[in-house]
Amino acid sequence: MYRGYHCQKRTMKTWIMNYSVSLAAIIMLLPGVAVAQQKKHLTISGMIRDMANGETLPGATVSFRELPGVGVSANAYGFYSVSIPEGSYTLIATYIGYRTDTLHIDLKGNLQQDIRLEANSGQLKEVKISGSSSKSRNILTAPPGVQKLTINDVKNVPVLLGEKDILKTIQLLPGIVAAGDGKAGFFVRGGDADQNLILLDEATVYNASHLLGFFSVFNSDAIKDIQIYKAGMPADYGGRISSVEDIHMNDGNNQKFGMTGGIGLIASRLTAEGPLFDHKGSFIVSARRTYVDAFTGLASDTTIKKTKLYFYDFNLKGNYQLDKTDRVFLSGYFGKDYLQLKQGNGIDYGNSTGTLRWNHIFNSSLFSNTSLIYNNYDYNTHFQSSTNNITVGSAITDYHLKQDFSYYLNSANKLDIGLESIYHVTQPGAGTTSATSNYNSIVLQKKYSLESAAYISHEWTATDKLKLTYGLRVSDLAVLGPGNYYTYDPAGNIASNTYYSGGKVVKNYINPEPRISANYQLNDSSSVKLSYDRNVQNIHLLNNSTASSPTNVYLPSTNVVKPEIADQVSVGYYRTFHQNGIEFSTELYYKKLQNQIDYKDGANLVGNENVEADLLFGTGRAYGWETYIKKKYGKFTGWLSYTLSKSERKIPGINDSHYYPASQDQTNHLNIVGMYQASKKWVLSADFVYSTGTPVTYPDGKFAVDGSPVYGYGSRNSQRLSPYNRLDLGATLYVKKTHRIESSWNFSIYNVYGQSNPYTIIFQTDPNNMNRTQVQQTTLFKMVPSVTYNFKF
Amino acid sequence: MKNNHFFILIALALVMVTACTKTITPPLNYSPQLVIEGVVSDTAGPYHVSLSKTANFYSDNVYPTVSGATVVITDATANVTDVLSEAASGDYVTHAIIGTPGHTYQLKVMLAGQTYTATSTMPKPVALDSVTVDYSVSNNFRPVANYQDPADQKNYYKYSIQRNGKHVNHFQTFDDRLSNGRYIRDKLDCDTGTFHHGDLVKVDLVGLDFGAFNFLHEAEAVAYDNANLSTPATPTSNITGGCIGYFAAQTVSSKITRVR
Repeated sequence: MYRGYHCQKRTMKTWIMNYSVSLAAIIMLLPGVAVAQQKKHLTISGMIRDMANGETLPGATVSFRELPGVGVSANAYGFYSVSIPEGSYTLIATYIGYRTDTLHIDLKGNLQQDIRLEANSGQLKEVKISGSSSKSRNILTAPPGVQKLTINDVKNVPVLLGEKDILKTIQLLPGIVAAGDGKAGFFVRGGDADQNLILLDEATVYNASHLLGFFSVFNSDAIKDIQIYKAGMPADYGGRISSVEDIHMNDGNNQKFGMTGGIGLIASRLTAEGPLFDHKGSFIVSARRTYVDAFTGLASDTTIKKTKLYFYDFNLKGNYQLDKTDRVFLSGYFGKDYLQLKQGNGIDYGNSTGTLRWNHIFNSSLFSNTSLIYNNYDYNTHFQSSTNNITVGSAITDYHLKQDFSYYLNSANKLDIGLESIYHVTQPGAGTTSATSNYNSIVLQKKYSLESAAYISHEWTATDKLKLTYGLRVSDLAVLGPGNYYTYDPAGNIASNTYYSGGKVVKNYINPEPRISANYQLNDSSSVKLSYDRNVQNIHLLNNSTASSPTNVYLPSTNVVKPEIADQVSVGYYRTFHQNGIEFSTELYYKKLQNQIDYKDGANLVGNENVEADLLFGTGRAYGWETYIKKKYGKFTGWLSYTLSKSERKIPGINDSHYYPASQDQTNHLNIVGMYQASKKWVLSADFVYSTGTPVTYPDGKFAVDGSPVYGYGSRNSQRLSPYNRLDLGATLYVKKTHRIESSWNFSIYNVYGQSNPYTIIFQTDPNNMNRTQVQQTTLFKMVPSVTYNFKF
Repeated sequence: MKNNHFFILIALALVMVTACTKTITPPLNYSPQLVIEGVVSDTAGPYHVSLSKTANFYSDNVYPTVSGATVVITDATANVTDVLSEAASGDYVTHAIIGTPGHTYQLKVMLAGQTYTATSTMPKPVALDSVTVDYSVSNNFRPVANYQDPADQKNYYKYSIQRNGKHVNHFQTFDDRLSNGRYIRDKLDCDTGTFHHGDLVKVDLVGLDFGAFNFLHEAEAVAYDNANLSTPATPTSNITGGCIGYFAAQTVSSKITRVR
């Protein structure tokens, strides 16, 4: 008791200290706000939308020919607001892939001006903008470590089995690497797969993969764009220490009804969208299902023949403009995977999310969003035999309330303030068994926690060259009863057990998370950026198996498991060539990680009430250099990205407590993506991936147990797999492209030259000579062709 | 839960034509290490302690024996000390010790100035009821061990199998962490096609204490499921002093059946 109290007091003290420092920093910078306030300004604000379908265009920019250096971009809901002196202006609205629009305005009072932009048909053309207003957009001004992809960017990139996939395409960007063929998840800047915050309309998606990682759960027909933060996360994001993938669903066409769809070898999808309530609202409904199981029935192998194997998912979204200042959105995602072998052994898992949002514009400079979010992820594993029927499952459910305010003080200052609270309920494991089973039914106690955060962030255009965004997020995790909470001795034996009744606080973790990023524009075509951020993570995924098994256990921070903390410093140089036609960026980062989780040898993660006793905790560091060059316009577009990096962990008890390479460490990683508009009908594409093999632990000898060879291992992750590389080719044929109907065929070949990239490596007895052992490598994808027919009307 | 095959199978089903397997020979380190395996059973002695060195992965499954060690087993409960003699190179045998459930045994091995020690307590015996055969897969008949797990204690088991009097090189472990007090019908793994019509199957249900079980359980994962381990490691020995292996005071209950 005393010790606990003491600790709490100490945490409180450090927190107050840290808080004071951050507060001091904010106060010191506030004069900027005050000074800027003195001039009399008027505000122009509104929504930026697509002309044809009414979709909002987050990230579209507004600037003024007469005011070089002044520019704002629309927020996640397409809302923009900017304060400028009274006068006559030429407003310039731009968005990539859209025709730039200019309109004349006479600003005599606060003005509400909605803007509609027309999409560029065909290939992306060079955007020519007069004056110097082009400053206010592109990579030069975005915070470091941030990247945005729209569905247009990914539609021609060849992917496995022809399903265009935004989450797969981001794995071709610098600093983001795939877990490997047939494996779920991806790693950002040396972090683990569970350290990525994947949001779909603000709802957390815990498992973003279908079919063990072959596809992501995001149906591209329903997705508008993705914003990726590898560093410099704004203070309104929190909860994961590696990255944020903020994915927005389409709102639905509010002008006319339409259908989009695709028929592929593996999956088909259909989307319907259209206006509601006299164009005041719109909806979009999207569904997708695979039919691999139809093919497995044709296989000669009886085991494969009886395999049940499919997934489906639905995306639904509706929105309604109540009046000029209020808009509500309701969006949801439901997906499920079923994988079952003939004897009834199998797994099913799925995510469901729901988001209810209310946008309110208090006045031309104060924007508010309120979100009520629900999300759930669960999985069940089934084992079945004549005497043994077992179902084992685990789940996590979140109830989430979020309130954000954006206050546009003037053209140079914007304040974001918000609060959020998430109530997590996790079921780490529950199993039901039949009467004749070898196993007892088991229900592990649920774990309850309340994760809350408050943040303030100030975006300040200090001079027309220097832009600063800094803020503070204070997060708190309250570990709540009811339940037994144990402490353990170093050997993993239970040292104490305390029961906490419902609502009692077991432990509070308060963490200040300062964030700052600075952006200095050197000239019209180059800038330098610097950022520091701290992120804290309170939901941890436990999985010590290499198989991309979704049978994972999510564990919130407890009295034993402390919040993971990452501090990252990132610097970069950015340059554009040919009037934004070519973007070049190069970034350096260094990350320090605390309270990283590892497992004791032979850890039991399934059905273990005392799973914390099987965990090890340590630190980590990751650093690297990323280079990216992208050609944005013309017949030929594409990018090249190269990353040189290192990611290491230091866990007491592993490798004599020295730093060792993390399992996702890849020294060199190269991606080349190219798309070529060969004619009006054909778009050809290719991508090439090369990376250093990831670290593995291989045997350094063998011995016999009851006559069977067993292997001894040297230090962890001291060897490496052979380098991973592959080339994919794709071609899209636009059959019909009119205003009424658009249809296309997509052909692709994954891993064209049939490189044997390892999926599993097995050390085993040689079946041809029982007196010897051998190494077997299984490769999943060699020359996988696919055809998909896409249509839109 | 051996899910590895399961996942590979799913992957196979997804890309039936493209998945493929090949033998590779990545460079592997080799540093010979001492392996000690010692057992005291509740069956008749003498009991054996074997000393050997690990072999290179790419060489034959022949493990160099280690001679010239002083090996002592003490029954700490009955206060009997037995100095083992080396019957064959690396094979040390007992003379006086009688394995008794509930007794605690200490192993001490002295070799080249190093001392290795271990302690193991023989658990209460658990009787194997019967052995049956599972015929559900036509080319892979599997023995089934049937027995009642006692509810009043934590139990750790190992199975070992004989076919027509000859040891089958496949071991398997089980514990009652999630099965306490259940009637167990455990289908035993062995290589496909091990058993044929008319074969005589003998199964030993071996009762262990935690230390020995823990080594064998980790060894089982390393031997048969290593592709699925993200961080494979040498099994944790219950012998101190820096060697691989285990010392087990164990109970053995056997049953026989014939494959029809």
